[in-house]
Amino acid sequence: MTCEIEFGVRSDIGCVRESNEDSYGAAPEIGLFVLSDGMGGLERGEVASRLAVETVIRECRVARSLRSTDHAANGISGVSPESNQLLAAVREANQVIYLATQETEAAHQMGATIVAVRLTGERMSLAHVGDSRAYRLRGDQLEQLTRDHSFVAEQMRQGRMTETEAGQSGLQNVLLRALGVAREVEVDVTEELMLDDDTILLCSDGLTRELTDAQIAAVLGDCEDAQEAANELVQAAKQAGGGDNITAVVLRSAAKSAGAFARIGRWLRHSGN
Amino acid sequence: MPKLVLKFENAVLQEMPVNAKEVSIGRSPDNALVIDNPAVSHYHARVFNEEGRMMLEDFGSLNGTFVNGQRVKMVTLKPGDSVAIGKHTIVISDSRDLDGFAVGNGGAKQAAPKLNETVILDTKERRAFMQQVAAVGESSQPAPARLKLPTLVVRKGKTNQKEYALTDKLTVVGKSAMATVKLTGWFAPRAAAQINRREDQSYYVGAADRRPNVNGHPIDGPTKLSPGDLIQVAGVELEFVYRD
Repeated sequence: MTCEIEFGVRSDIGCVRESNEDSYGAAPEIGLFVLSDGMGGLERGEVASRLAVETVIRECRVARSLRSTDHAANGISGVSPESNQLLAAVREANQVIYLATQETEAAHQMGATIVAVRLTGERMSLAHVGDSRAYRLRGDQLEQLTRDHSFVAEQMRQGRMTETEAGQSGLQNVLLRALGVAREVEVDVTEELMLDDDTILLCSDGLTRELTDAQIAAVLGDCEDAQEAANELVQAAKQAGGGDNITAVVLRSAAKSAGAFARIGRWLRHSGN
Repeated sequence: MPKLVLKFENAVLQEMPVNAKEVSIGRSPDNALVIDNPAVSHYHARVFNEEGRMMLEDFGSLNGTFVNGQRVKMVTLKPGDSVAIGKHTIVISDSRDLDGFAVGNGGAKQAAPKLNETVILDTKERRAFMQQVAAVGESSQPAPARLKLPTLVVRKGKTNQKEYALTDKLTVVGKSAMATVKLTGWFAPRAAAQINRREDQSYYVGAADRRPNVNGHPIDGPTKLSPGDLIQVAGVELEFVYRD
């Protein structure tokens, strides 16, 4: 049931911002990949996103080593234990950031989005809060697997805004949910199927504000290598304006590609901030 | 010559000189000024010239036309008036004020949203925000509370059961160990199709190793299921129903 995962990651400050508030991390041994986009002045955004990533990874590792089923009580039905562990880990990350904000002055409030995947064989657990996204390319079809918790996305779902209007709206930056804002947070948890030929992308809104789905699909479809795909996506978003921090994590089943270990080495080099 | 300047929030979407006799406004594409939003009626209002005066008439639209905050049926417009239709605003502008305006504003419109810091609404703010917006526009999609059990009934083909209750968020159709709807035919694929339950309790069928048909048509991306829909994939036919 173990399937090797080939992955690539690239994070860039972009062309406008003065700091990179995006964070990412991985625990490849349990198939876990996490991305977070922080917000809050005075470098608090960086703190929030790093807390989010570190907490989710730590909690998932602990839950797995305990083979814990404690989470079932507060969990949701109709999903695997791994999905419920991921849910519990994201809730914990919310608490950690929330408690950290309680200890600081109001002016230093912070929050973060999160998108996390956990691969268990062919089953992919997916948890998210905010407007960082997960996509899947299957064949030539790109599918957005997450639905943004943003004002404009909610308006579109309710049929009150067209896609064009949403793209023109000055309210694209308004989030309806984020980690660290309240004691409890509603987390979207879904499960997906990961096939051998699928490519998964996790990204911050700095990427999706600059590139269309068609542009993303073209890069993911053309690149042989996950790292190359992550590099090219970030480069394209910078060329398109780079108005925000840009982070892309690209995952592929390595069943068919050689040199998985070489790529793990590359990941480690890139993850040193 | 006066102009109608169509704005959405602070972004200028379109400018239209009022040189014609009449400018029709509405959601239908055959209007002179098209506002593509569900809160706008197909033929919502018109601006026309009557003996040198610029007049606005609302065609009895569902959500109304507001001039400077007042709901109107027929009024005379003057430069500076602000006409609200749905969430859009049409500002009546004397073109003498407009030299250089379009260019400057066009630039700002591009850059503004990207530079803004992300804002998170807390629960109270969110509620107020949503209500404010809900006041405009049609009330939408009542999600029916389903107490019935969503189920796949096997109509054709070889599977290990006759019916499958869709209790999981993800249901896979195929030979794979994680498949709920187990295909038992010799040449069945590991994962033929997948069915997802979304947050709003709706169900979507998507392609896996095969592209399913729904009611005889190949799907183009994830496709929402309605009761009675027939999913055809890898030699089986499954009907989506709600069971008591």
